[in-house]
Amino acid sequence: MILRRARYELAARAGGPFLAALDDWRRRHRRRSARESPFAPPLESLRALKALMTTHYLSGRYADGAVPVAWVTSGFPVEPLRTLGFHTVYPENHGAMCGVQRIVPALSDAIEAEGYSRDLCSYVRADLGSLVTGRSPAGRLPRPDLLACCTNICQTVLYWYRDLARRFGVPLVLVDTPFVYGEATPHQLRYVEDQLEEAIAVAERVARRRLDRAALRETARLARDGSRLWGECLATAKARPAPWTGVDGFFHLAPIVALRGTEACNAYYRLLLDELRDRVARGVGGLRGEERHRLVWDNLPIWYATREIATLLASRGFNFVCTTYTNAWAEAAARIDPDDPVRSSADCYTHVLLNRDLPSKLALVAGLAREYGADGAVLHSDRSCKPYSIGQVDLKARLAGDLGIRTLLLEADHGDPRAWASELAANRLGAFMESFG
Amino acid sequence: MTREPYIRRQRTEHGRRAVAVLPVHYPKELLTALDLLAVEVWGPPGAPRGDAAGRIQTYVCAVVRNALAFLASGGADCVDAVLFPHTCDSIQQLATLAPDFGGWGKPALTFLHPKGPGRPGVRRFLSEELRGLAAKLEAVAGRPLEPERLAAAIRLHREIDLHRAALLDGRAALPLDDPGLYALLRRGEWLWPEDHLAELRAARARLGTGGPPGRVPILVTGYVPEPIATLETLNGAGAFVAADDYAAIGRRVVRGGDGPIADPWEALLDRDAAAPPCPTRATDQAARMRHLEALAARSGARGVVVHVVKFCEPELFDVPAIRRTFAARGLPILVLEGELERQLSGQTVTRIEAFAELLGAAGGAA
Ligand code: SF4
Ligand code: SF4
Repeated sequence: MILRRARYELAARAGGPFLAALDDWRRRHRRRSARESPFAPPLESLRALKALMTTHYLSGRYADGAVPVAWVTSGFPVEPLRTLGFHTVYPENHGAMCGVQRIVPALSDAIEAEGYSRDLCSYVRADLGSLVTGRSPAGRLPRPDLLACCTNICQTVLYWYRDLARRFGVPLVLVDTPFVYGEATPHQLRYVEDQLEEAIAVAERVARRRLDRAALRETARLARDGSRLWGECLATAKARPAPWTGVDGFFHLAPIVALRGTEACNAYYRLLLDELRDRVARGVGGLRGEERHRLVWDNLPIWYATREIATLLASRGFNFVCTTYTNAWAEAAARIDPDDPVRSSADCYTHVLLNRDLPSKLALVAGLAREYGADGAVLHSDRSCKPYSIGQVDLKARLAGDLGIRTLLLEADHGDPRAWASELAANRLGAFMESFG
Repeated sequence: MTREPYIRRQRTEHGRRAVAVLPVHYPKELLTALDLLAVEVWGPPGAPRGDAAGRIQTYVCAVVRNALAFLASGGADCVDAVLFPHTCDSIQQLATLAPDFGGWGKPALTFLHPKGPGRPGVRRFLSEELRGLAAKLEAVAGRPLEPERLAAAIRLHREIDLHRAALLDGRAALPLDDPGLYALLRRGEWLWPEDHLAELRAARARLGTGGPPGRVPILVTGYVPEPIATLETLNGAGAFVAADDYAAIGRRVVRGGDGPIADPWEALLDRDAAAPPCPTRATDQAARMRHLEALAARSGARGVVVHVVKFCEPELFDVPAIRRTFAARGLPILVLEGELERQLSGQTVTRIEAFAELLGAAGGAA
């Protein structure tokens, strides 16, 4: 049934399935490494994921001139843009691809030569470096007609997108979300709502069409359902053993980030959910061997070293069963109201994890640890992402003190491997694992 | 008199409570109107000390790391509350870390100034934030905010800005060295405004009676003039700050706006709108570059020093634009990044001296 649905979804696309099949063929003909992987065989859905995302990036190559294109921050309320027919590009997603391929140092060098500091977020350096050098793992990104920036993840994106606006000479819409201490006040939410309406007006001008409010409600419904489905996929890891690993989650996250509010995204997560539930029913875990310890991961992935870290841990029976990062995209489901899409968007996108105070974050991490039965946590202290990282020293102490779980603070940079010392990290992870006895 | 005895005396002699304030922009007029002494915390300089020194990672700016260590070690215990403006991601996080996870037990207030001023909706939001903050400050002050007192406070701060602007604009005719001038201007970070005004008036009376020690005018843009040895070294090498765009100084001097005050809240909003461009408020970058160019032209600056705090994204993001802007005008640039050290490194001293020498040679005057 899973494959049938996969074939159905894949058949709806052209280039993506072809490239995914090619990749599959290559993989099958690649010589196997002598060392056995500590992970269970990859999820079948991975092929559909590849097809979906390859199609997205492939179509993107030909999007400019054909449809309006918006470059969007990951936390931007994207539903109106989707409804207006924009092809959306997520530079953060692209930055993650650059991180995986370890090309950030070269891209960063190019931009540092223009006076940009190496202390800026590596997503920014990757993105601007890619523009300057023309190097991209996606081949090429379509030129934007609109830039859409929401500060609910950080202020960095505001400076970054302003820079992009200067380079491309296109309009920038900004949604400035007041940081939430406790709960947002009504006037703060009204401010966000006002800005959303302003953003819609600009997007309408760029797209040269009026926003169909009924269609917006439908997009909001799809976004809410997609978020809900993604949350259900994540929740399957509450089972013992967890049917996948947190590292899998980092990669399967791509559709909810880049294609939120589309049926293609939701179809993909239904497929994935079926497969994960099937694994749970059959007692198949994400690790090949016994799952001895269950961990929480906090902060962005270390894109170039996720496999390395997860493999080291998995080889000794440690599995990341949940991550605050992937969970962030499941949170939206509770607040989006398709009948009132703009107002509920303001509420939903203002209350995202990175825009909330530390007690909220502690409650979230502690809640995840409890719900997923985790007995340890790795907090990635990310040089590139200050809003996500400040407070982790205290968070670590509280998780250990209040919940009695073992924690490790691991310093790196999510995109730039120059901040990563593989051997040192292996030693620290080794000592961490030994502490479990 | 240093800060702490001054704060205590303000309390005993005038019954004034005090509020510690993190950088950069905040409505000081509200505090003055409520008889609250604002005491700004820019760091303080030096390595963070005390138990909380390691609670924030070393890749976060020294302003925030030091502030947490300072608050948590009781450095600000003589004040009644702390105010965290919405300056950047790091201060935003500090505003929850210190009160929620330990380090600050008294009231903690936030001021969420909107980013990207001038957009529709911003004025209404700011108006509501100001009123919300005023209500919290009333609780700290233990008295209600009276509109007449707010109007009077606005007039007082307008006058202070007038004098500060006169001193900065007339810098070349002021017989003070840069450390002396900046010590004076920075006392405004903790003196009661009227006391600060008296000092400013006295300094202004000296305008036209001499000049700074150096002869090579430069423009300085950056965050905060720390360590003060930066300015000493500049003066020692024959240069002086002829135009200022420090976040702590020039970017908080509002020029103009001296009309009658019909509605003090509206006047407060107008002052905010008239403030010079600053990346921490996410004002338009092109407008900021035009502002810097005008400062350089007006002061006859022969070079530009960009003096930023390491890891400070709001400032660092503008550095390439500053480079482009002044490269096009043929003005040399020196970029200094610091961590609020108490001393300058030998290497930095050499760079400043070499830079001043280069400018002097180019202008033939140093
Ligand atoms: S990684 Fe952090 S700093 Fe960089 S864009 Fe994302 S949220 Fe902002
Ligand atoms: S120096 Fe920069 S990063 Fe640090 S508190 Fe100030 S504005 Fe924020």
